[in-house]
Amino acid sequence: MRPRIAILLSTALLAWAGAASAQVALTAVRVAGVGPITDPQGAVWKQARPVHVAMLPQTVALPHNDHPAVHQLTVRAVHNGGWLAFLIEWTDPTLSDRIVLDDFGDQVAVQLPVATTGAPPSPMMGNPGGRVTIMQWRAAFQRDLDTAPPTVRDLYPNAWTDVYPDEVLGATDARPYAGALGLENPVSRGRASPVLDQMAEGWGSMTVKPDQRALGGGIHRDGGWHVVITRPMVSDDLNAPALVPGARSFAAFAVWEGGHGEVGARKAWSPWTPLVIAR
Amino acid sequence: MPRVYNWQLGREMDYPYEGRRPEKQFAMIFDTNKCIACQTCTVACKTTWTPGRGQEYMYWNNVETKPYGYYPLGWDVNILDKLGVQEMDGPVYRGKTLFDAAPTGEVILGYLPEDLDYAHPNIGEDDCTGLMSQGAHLTLPHMQWMFYLPRICNHCTYPACLSACPRQSIYKRPEDGIVLLDQSRCRGYRECVKGCPYKKVYFNAQTRVSEKCIGCYPAVEGGRQTQCTISCIGKIRIQGFMSAPDKANADNPLDYLVLIRKLALPLYPQFGLEPNTYYIPPVHVPPVFLRQMFGWGVEQAIATYRTVAEDRKLLGALILFGATPEISHYFRVTGDEVIGYDGKQAEIVRVPLREPVVIREVYDIKHKAYRTNIT
Repeated sequence: MRPRIAILLSTALLAWAGAASAQVALTAVRVAGVGPITDPQGAVWKQARPVHVAMLPQTVALPHNDHPAVHQLTVRAVHNGGWLAFLIEWTDPTLSDRIVLDDFGDQVAVQLPVATTGAPPSPMMGNPGGRVTIMQWRAAFQRDLDTAPPTVRDLYPNAWTDVYPDEVLGATDARPYAGALGLENPVSRGRASPVLDQMAEGWGSMTVKPDQRALGGGIHRDGGWHVVITRPMVSDDLNAPALVPGARSFAAFAVWEGGHGEVGARKAWSPWTPLVIAR
Repeated sequence: MPRVYNWQLGREMDYPYEGRRPEKQFAMIFDTNKCIACQTCTVACKTTWTPGRGQEYMYWNNVETKPYGYYPLGWDVNILDKLGVQEMDGPVYRGKTLFDAAPTGEVILGYLPEDLDYAHPNIGEDDCTGLMSQGAHLTLPHMQWMFYLPRICNHCTYPACLSACPRQSIYKRPEDGIVLLDQSRCRGYRECVKGCPYKKVYFNAQTRVSEKCIGCYPAVEGGRQTQCTISCIGKIRIQGFMSAPDKANADNPLDYLVLIRKLALPLYPQFGLEPNTYYIPPVHVPPVFLRQMFGWGVEQAIATYRTVAEDRKLLGALILFGATPEISHYFRVTGDEVIGYDGKQAEIVRVPLREPVVIREVYDIKHKAYRTNIT
């Protein structure tokens, strides 16, 4: 299996390298203001030029997604000297933010190389020694924040149970019955941000950072998603790039259409797009 | 893709990972002839492990009626239908496993059940294959039949859930072969739910990650059998450990019943996962049905079961079922008793092969009453 992945990876990288020189760079223009930029409807986005990013089927690692639902993202980038932000928009008539067994949520992610010099790592979640930071926005987290994390009764209105352990036991004793919540699994719920701040060095290595810096916001309007993902341009996070005005790097994207059963490796992905941080 | 040996198929097969057998393999045997579907096991498991939020529908242990009961709905007929008709006459399986049949771009042939497939845990309960016509009487095998199938996670030697997980969140313990799902690492992709043909991984909508039977590992590590086993009022189960198939030990009750006497058979061996819960097939059910479910050894297993009364060692192994909450690593039949031993060869239980029978007078002089039960 590995040689096949390597061949496909090399082919994809060569194809990308050939096209990269002709690619339109994504320029993060300087805008006024301080602090995180999280409003997808903010006026700042009128100053940024949109770049259309073609999204490709993920057919390298198992399981594949031969026919992804989303084929293009429209991306804008801005910064205010302290925070770098991306506005990512795509057509998706179905809002998927309810997570049950057979319902998956909409998601989008932006990926940046941690090192800002030298050749970029693999655009497919990095490679050993080629670390990337991946900020992933989830519609389900957005709903948790906009309304409240759904209870079992919210998800299944006719559900009934006589008693739960947390109703009769103390917090410590009830904790083992809370599953992943008891272990504070970062994908569960109770998050302060709809964006997961993560790092990876190749397939299957995605790790949520202990210190979460990424913020954002998303709104489903006019038949599509409008999502902002933002992070500090410079921080003490060793697993994030330091991007100062004038810096050049790359950005790559991934998108999941929950209504199409897309989750995990079943996604659409993009090669690197050159990223310029305007002075 | 690595080649691994699957003893249940009598051949090597493809599996995404190298085959490394554990030091000993967690295993369970069910005597389907004794199960009455009282669901005590189900409740014992439920109250021990899954009473929490988001776990309402989870039955890590369930008992369903065959042929019309399923949890979730149609779990086995759905995947059998997708796999298609296969040649399985044994002793070597020539058909496709679920790994052989994986569509392009997939690890394994599978399907994700719908939420509503879990809405009726007792569907088909006690439903028989048909009605008895007026004046008909049952012969063996029965012309109209049903039986109960208790199920837990099979803690497979080649787990589909483990192979399907792109994050390596599922692992098989080298010390006892128990398959666990890391609740910290799982990201809720549900590839395991889709991949497991037995549908014994459940998605928790409250925590947004998946969960599964943990083989009662805290008990098992302490030498105690699982909750579902020790709570079984019908004494239909035994839980212990099996050796590697080429190292079968006749003094180990599970090795003896499964590997040596081949009395207990795996559930849908043709899937290729080498499942480690084993079933003594029901003697009253037509073998043509049972062969699909338990493989080609069904007729021989039923024939062996009929000799139990005259076979002291086999009888001794079966009498250990439900005889002790502790795990019998070894057993020995001596005199009129069977003795179970723990991992250090210390005696943990002693049971007579034949229960002493006392017959009382029909008329109780002291109470001036007739007895309705005199034995």
